[in-house]
Parts: sequence; structure tokens; C-alpha cells
Amino acid sequence: MTSAATANRRFPSETLVGRVRQRMFRHAPADDRPVVLRHHRIYILPSKRGWAFMGTLALLLITSLNYALSLGFVVTFALIGLAAIALIHTFRNLAGIELRPLSAGEAFAGNPLPFSLALSGGSLPRYTVHLCANEGTDVTTDITPDVALPVTLELPTRRRGARPLGRVTLSSDYPLGLWRAWAYVHFPLEGVVFPTPEPAPPALPIARLGQADDGPLARDDADLAGLREYQPGDPMQRVAWKAVARGAGWYSKEFDGRGGGGPLALAWHELPEALDGEQRIARLTAWVLAAERTARPFSLTAPDIAMASGQGRDHRRQALTALALIEGTEK
Amino acid sequence: MRSAKVLVRALPLARALFARRPARGVALSAHQTHWLAMLLFAVQFPLLPFVPLWIGLFGMLLVGLRLLFLRRDRAHGEGPSRPASSWLLLVAAMVAGFAIRQDFGYFAGRDPCVAFLFILLGIKFLEARSSRDGALLVCLSGFLLVALFFYSQSLLAGFAALPALLLIAATLQQLTVPARRAAGLAAWRSVLGSAGRMLLQGLPLALLLFVFFPRLSAPLWGLPTDRSAKTGLSDRMAPGLISELSLSDAVAFRVDFDGAPPPARQRYWRGPVFSLYDGREWSPLPKPQPGRFEPAGSAPISYVVTLEPHDKPWLFALDFAVAPPGPAAPTGDDAPDSTLALLTRDQQLIAPTPVTQPLRYRQLSVPKASFSAGDGRWRTEEIAANLQLPRNFARTHPRTLALANELRGRHVGDAEFAGAVLSHFNEQPFVYTLSPPPLGAYPVDGFLFDTRRGFCEHYASAFAVLLRAAGIPARVVTGYQGGEMNPRGNYMIVRQSDAHAWTEVLLDGRWQRYDPTAAVSPSRIEMGLGGALPLGEPVPLLARLDSHWAKGLQLAWDALNHDWRRLVVGFNHERQRSLWQELDLGRLPAWQMTTIAILIGTAWLGLLLGWLAWRRRRRDPVHAMWQTLCRRLARAGVAREVHEGPLAYTARAARRWPEFAAVFDIVGEAYAQLRYGPDVRAERRAAERRLRRALQVLPRARQLARS
Repeated sequence: MTSAATANRRFPSETLVGRVRQRMFRHAPADDRPVVLRHHRIYILPSKRGWAFMGTLALLLITSLNYALSLGFVVTFALIGLAAIALIHTFRNLAGIELRPLSAGEAFAGNPLPFSLALSGGSLPRYTVHLCANEGTDVTTDITPDVALPVTLELPTRRRGARPLGRVTLSSDYPLGLWRAWAYVHFPLEGVVFPTPEPAPPALPIARLGQADDGPLARDDADLAGLREYQPGDPMQRVAWKAVARGAGWYSKEFDGRGGGGPLALAWHELPEALDGEQRIARLTAWVLAAERTARPFSLTAPDIAMASGQGRDHRRQALTALALIEGTEK
Repeated sequence: MRSAKVLVRALPLARALFARRPARGVALSAHQTHWLAMLLFAVQFPLLPFVPLWIGLFGMLLVGLRLLFLRRDRAHGEGPSRPASSWLLLVAAMVAGFAIRQDFGYFAGRDPCVAFLFILLGIKFLEARSSRDGALLVCLSGFLLVALFFYSQSLLAGFAALPALLLIAATLQQLTVPARRAAGLAAWRSVLGSAGRMLLQGLPLALLLFVFFPRLSAPLWGLPTDRSAKTGLSDRMAPGLISELSLSDAVAFRVDFDGAPPPARQRYWRGPVFSLYDGREWSPLPKPQPGRFEPAGSAPISYVVTLEPHDKPWLFALDFAVAPPGPAAPTGDDAPDSTLALLTRDQQLIAPTPVTQPLRYRQLSVPKASFSAGDGRWRTEEIAANLQLPRNFARTHPRTLALANELRGRHVGDAEFAGAVLSHFNEQPFVYTLSPPPLGAYPVDGFLFDTRRGFCEHYASAFAVLLRAAGIPARVVTGYQGGEMNPRGNYMIVRQSDAHAWTEVLLDGRWQRYDPTAAVSPSRIEMGLGGALPLGEPVPLLARLDSHWAKGLQLAWDALNHDWRRLVVGFNHERQRSLWQELDLGRLPAWQMTTIAILIGTAWLGLLLGWLAWRRRRRDPVHAMWQTLCRRLARAGVAREVHEGPLAYTARAARRWPEFAAVFDIVGEAYAQLRYGPDVRAERRAAERRLRRALQVLPRARQLARS
């Protein structure tokens, strides 16, 4: 069943028309290996400027014909030759470019979601190559020879959830701007859009359970108590980086016990009834961030999520990803 | 310089008038603006001699003004350009249009439109702010560039178009790169270099199109007749017109003879024939009647005339044409093109439209001094017209009439009478000169008896009048007499300074040529103007007999121009057809020709693509070897990762194939040295050799995969 599902995703249609459409327009994210742009992927048509130039050439030709201007023909044909040669150079500027998917990023909803690709053009310098993804930012760049150039495309995000990069269009109108060559590449890159945290969340639930302190969260940011030897497993946020940088060795910061305490249990079902699904997700997100900021281990339970207690960057990311991917909370 | 300063001072005022609006599209950078300005100058400059002076100056001033704005803005650290507001420029364009209308007297013609385009380019440039405007300017300058050829298709004009062509390519390129990275004029060498390379690569295609693109034998729409004055014979003859023309060195036409050229005394190139005389001016008969060609006889002279455009309908032929002018190059169909020109009763060749472009035609002539006047109902009218004298001739020209009567008394026969008039010119102290004294209200009387100094038109006119006074039909013929062989290129140049007028007398049913100038100055006929005029006369440089070095240079230049006219400018419908014949393509249907041309063009593009790829590989053999290795290893299962350097990659390969570890070591090290090491020639060569040998040792991908 799963294999059929993937196959379905790779090839949206088994029909001939479907395959041709995929080959022409790359609607499905089927490029799972590095892509080298060759003639079967590169399209080329006159740009707007190219159409205008050709119109000019047509008028020049008619003028030369009518007035029997031999030199008019010479100039017109020289320009036609130039345009034809520009076609070759425009094609060559894209042909042979290799694209590799590097990484899909993460972002909170509302922030741009970065995707990285590596571009390399072999031994040929490439000029003004233009990349754009659906509704994303455009990047225009030159590619120096023999260098894999990382390029970041950013997509705008509005809602939490998985966000595929979608089809990327590479294009270039170098050298004369008369032709636009383009190619579609569709990598199965998928970034995660984390939910927007609740702007002013109530204090972490541990406070209610343990010390009944309703003060603002900021007060949990405990005072620095001192340094101790670093032990493997200490969270990165607690490493005394200044000391490391000085070369004094590895130490971890220790904080005043006020904010500390036992592991937090962040649970969907313990939230007030009044909150709907998205609000709950927003609050849980805010709490995950707060817990991580104060370096407290936490566990997370929600529909389809049961994360054991833990801490650290990876734990945080897992929690946020899980929250981002919760399905069907709309009423 | 001063005016420039004044202009700069006036800028704040101008700036107050000029508003700024946001640019649509990518804004032009200063560098791009500079390239555009160079392009505009390059297309405007060659046109300067052909547009009115104020248009030329104003158009170029507008372009310069934009550059001035730019400099000023940069000095103030402002944005790259601050163009003028469009409405102001719209008003400027309308004013310019109106001024052109006033200057030319009309607007809907070719010349005023070219002039307007000239100005418009400057105005649009002042307003240009985005690269889109820039592209529009490039297109417009293409029009102006071709407009140059309306006026001149000389070799010089061809050369003048070259910089503009280069700059069109260069400017398009500079408009394509992001504005901030556009190269300045300082980098002209590399920018023009790449533009020139592209033009050169496109040259075979241009040549292909030039040969195969079908030309029209007749224009698509009527050519507008523009009111321009070209040097050449006129359709009137008044005293002083031809002597004025004789001061010009301009080429009237060039002739390639199939055999030896005829001797100088036979080189009478027939032009307009004048029968009507009003006492001062000669003019042609109003309605030319069709004529008959003389019989070809034994050995007609065959030659090709390359006629400079003179905006008049007549073609020139040696006296007398025996066949209508045909296409210069033999085409498939043997029938001569009868639409090229018709023969009139007075043996003139008249084309249906004025000659506004260089024209080449083949002509057959038999050198003779007379031709049959022919019969028919026009004969009496012709005789009457050629006997006509001004109404009060007897009263105004008593001395001429007396001379005619006196000579007539002594010579009864018409031919004897004509001979006697010639002797009169020869024996009396007549002087042949380019600068005769002014004649009064009755020029013939004054010339024959008072001044006795004149140019060919005076002699021809007086001779014809004397014969008419004696009752013998006579008329004036204008054209060119002589011509100079250019030893370089072996063809004949006929210049405006060879312009001549002679007479024809109707004797025994034949029009007989009489050249009274020959009676006064025989050397004019044998040696041309330079040999005939007394010392101190303003003979044009190229008509002089002494071999000035400048004349040698000029002849060489003219030979070049003649080839240019023949091969490039004269490549018209007929020549194209004959070339196709020579290439054995004449019989192919159009679609096959088109297919062949497209195939050749495509083949060239393919060849170019292949050559560029091959050159790249050759230029960087190290990279090519490295690529080969990477591909081979990838096929064998160890593909290079993006982040992997050469040393790390070869180390990984060595771990996978320990039996070739030493080879991989050498490869990695050699490649790293070549790519990142110091540029020492000997070391590099050694490293390259090591790399090559190591790659030879390494087995193919399939074997590697198996091991």
C-alpha cells in the first residue's frame, strides 16, 4: 500500500498523457537524484525583448526589400545571425548545470522557510542564472567554474504543517536578453512550518503543579549560579561558550534552582476546555520554547503524539515538528 | 566648454521642471546609460551629412545632455540617472515634429521621418529609465542605422555601420546583466570583444541569408519620391548648368567592358535630348514617342553600366544602343527585361521610375555618329519642333540671323553649311573655358559676337541655333563624353566632370552628330576636361592629367568602391538568380531551397555548439580528466559527494579499491596540485603527466565495479 502511494506520488498518472505532462512540466517531485540540465529539460523561447527585437528585424527586412537596400539586408541579416547565435549561448548557459538538493529548512509560520540547493556549472562560468520557486523569493546568481554554489530559496509561510519546496524554475536570458531558457526541477524536498507560538502564554504548567507561582515566565529565567565541568549530554545552551572560546576548557553553566525542577509534562488534554485545537497547539508550542529556553526537560502528549521526557535541540525540533504536523484541528 | 558650464548651471532649473516618476522594470545603471549613449552616437554620426544641420546638432545634443545630467548626478552622489519628465519631452517631440514639417515643407515623406526619428531617439534617451526603455532604444537605433542606407550605400557607409552593429550587440548584453554589474566603458575591450565574437559567429548565417533570402524585382509599395537634389544632368539646359556640373569629381557611373573599351572620340554617353528652345533654356519634347533600335551590325560593344542614383529616369548608353538594357548578370530566362527601360524616338533610354538606388544593367551599343530618324506620323512634327526658334528671334538675334544667312549663301548643301559653321568656330578666336563671362538677355548673339568664350553648352546651343536659323533641323544632346579607365580593376569611371553637350543635325533622314566643342578644342574630346582647359582654370582634381599621388589613391579607393557596388550593393533580384544558376540551384522549387538553407543554418549552429564544447575541453584538459575519473568511479559505485574535495574523494576510492590505493593517491595529489597548487609551469606539466598516466592505469568502470 505504501509503495503504491509513493509510486502514485512520483508518477501522478500512469497514462501516456500523464507521463508526457510530467516530463514536460515536472508537476510531481520525482527528481530524487542530482539533476544535470540537458537538452531534454531545457526550454527556450524568445523573451519579451526578443519578440520586440524580432519585430524590429521584420520591419527592417521589409524596408530593405522594398527599397532594395543591399546594405540594409547586410545589417538585418547580421542582426538575425546575432540573434540566432544568442540562442546557442543562452542554451549553453544553462546546459550542463548540476543541481543537488541540500536541505529543507524549518521556520515558524509567518517566517520565510529556507531551502538549500547546490548549483555547479562544471568548468564553464554561468551568468545571471535565475532561480525561483512557487511564490517564493527569486535568486539571481552567477556560477563560477568548478564550484558548488549553495543557493537558498525562501518560501513564504502562513500556516503550520509540511511545506514542499515544489517545482523550481531555473532560467536565464544571458547573453543578449533575446531568449529565455528555462528548466523545471522538482525535488522532493519538504520543509516543516512550526506553529506560531502563543504570544503571551501562561506560565509553564510545572509552576502550577509545584510551586504555585503565577508570575510571568520570564522570572523562571534563573540566575547564574556557577560553572561546573562539562559532562557529555549537557544541553548546548548551558555550555559556557565564552570559557570554551578563551580556551579555558569545557564548562556548563549551573542555574539557581528556582526555575529548575522536575520534568515538565506538556499535555494536550490538560489544557483548558475553552481552547480550540489551534489555540492548544499555539500554547503547547510556546511552552516547548519556554521549556527549552530554561533548559528543562519536558514530555509532550497530544493526539497521535506521545513524546517521552527529554531536552536539547533535537528534542525541541521533534516536539515542534510533531505539533506542526497534527492533523485536522479545524472545526 | 563654456556652453557646457552654462548648461550645468541651468540644471537646477531644469530639474525643477523635470519630475521623477518611479521606473518600471529594472532601472538603468550609469554604465548602461553610457553604453546606450555610445550606441546612439554611433548611429547618429554617419547620418550627419544627410539630415539638416540643426537636426543633427539637436539630436546629438539631446544625447549629450543626458550624459551631462548623469555626470552631475554622480558628482552629487545621487541615483544613477535622473531623466526628464515624459510630458515635457512629449511637448519637445511635438515641437520638433512641427519644426521638421516647417523645414521640409511636408512630413509624410522618407526624409522628414528619418529626421524625426533622429530627434526622437535623443528625446527617448533623455526619458529612458528602465532597461526596457534601453531595449526600445536599441530597436529604434536599428531603424536609424538602416535609414543611413537610404542616402548612401558606399563602402564608407558600410564601414560607418560597423561600430553601430557592434554596439547594438554590446548594449543588448549590458542591458541583460544586472544593472549593478554592468561593465563601464573602460572595459570596452572585453565587452566589444565578446559582442564582436558573437557577430562573427553569426556571420555565416548572415551570408547564407544574404544569398538565399529572395529579393523582390519590384517594390512592395510605391517608393515615395523625395525632394532631394543629386548631382547629375538636369532635364533642362541653361547656360552655366553643365560647366557647374563639370566642377564635380563625383562619379556618374562606372562601366565594365566585355572587350576593349572604344577609343575616346567614340565615348559619347547619351543622356537627355533637348529640342525646345525658348531663347535661353533648352528643354525636351513633352511627349516622348517610342523609338526603334539601330541594327546591331557586325560587332556591337557589350558592357555593364553601374549607375549611381541620380533621381532621374534616364539611363546612359554609348551612342547608339542596339538593344534594350538587360540585367547585369545573365539570368535563366533569355528574354531581356523589357521593363528596365524603354527607347524613345530620339534614342534615349528611359526607365519607368527614377533611379534612386545604384543600378546595374547590361547594354549593347554600336559606336556610330548617326542614326536613322525613322518614318511615321511623328516625322513632320519632329522636324517642325527641331526647327523652332523663339518667336521674336529675328528681332533679338539680328547678328546670328545675318551670319546664318551669309554662310547659307555660300554653302547650299546642309552638310556643307554645318561644316562651315564648325570652321567658323574653329577659325574665329573662340575660347573654351569653364568660367565664361556672363551673357546678356540674348545669349546666342552675345556669345557668338561679343564674348566668344564658353563651355560646351554654349557651343552646342549656338550651333543648333545657327543651323535652325538656316532652316536645318538641329537639336542639343547632353550626356557624358569620355571616361577614364581605372587601371586597378580595369573598368571605366565616368565622372560628372565628363558632362558634355553636343548637337545632332538631321541630314538625309539621319540624325548626324556634330560636336562644335571639338572644333574649338579638339583635346577636350581626346583627353578630357583636364587636357582642354587653359592653365589656371579650376579643373577638378581628378579630371587633371598630371598624376597626382592623391589621384592614384583615389583610383585605388574607387576600384574598391566599384567592387563593393558590384558585389554587395548590386546584389539584387537578378544577380541572386544568376548566382543560384551558377550554384545549380536555379531549377529547385522554393521549398527545397528553403529546406537547404535551413539545413545549412542548423548545421552551422550545431557545429558551433560542438566546437565550443570541444574548445572548452581542450582549454582545460585537467578538468576533463578529473571529470572522466569522477564519471568512471560514479559508474563503478563511488560517486563524489558535493562537499568532497579531491583528496577526500580519492582517499575514499582508495579504501574501496585498496589494490589501486597508490594510483588514487597519485591522482588526488596531482589534481589537487594542478587545481590549487602554485602556478609553476614545469611542476604543472609533470603533475599533468602523472595524472594522465595514473588514469591510464586505472581500469574501466565495469572492471572496477566487479573487483
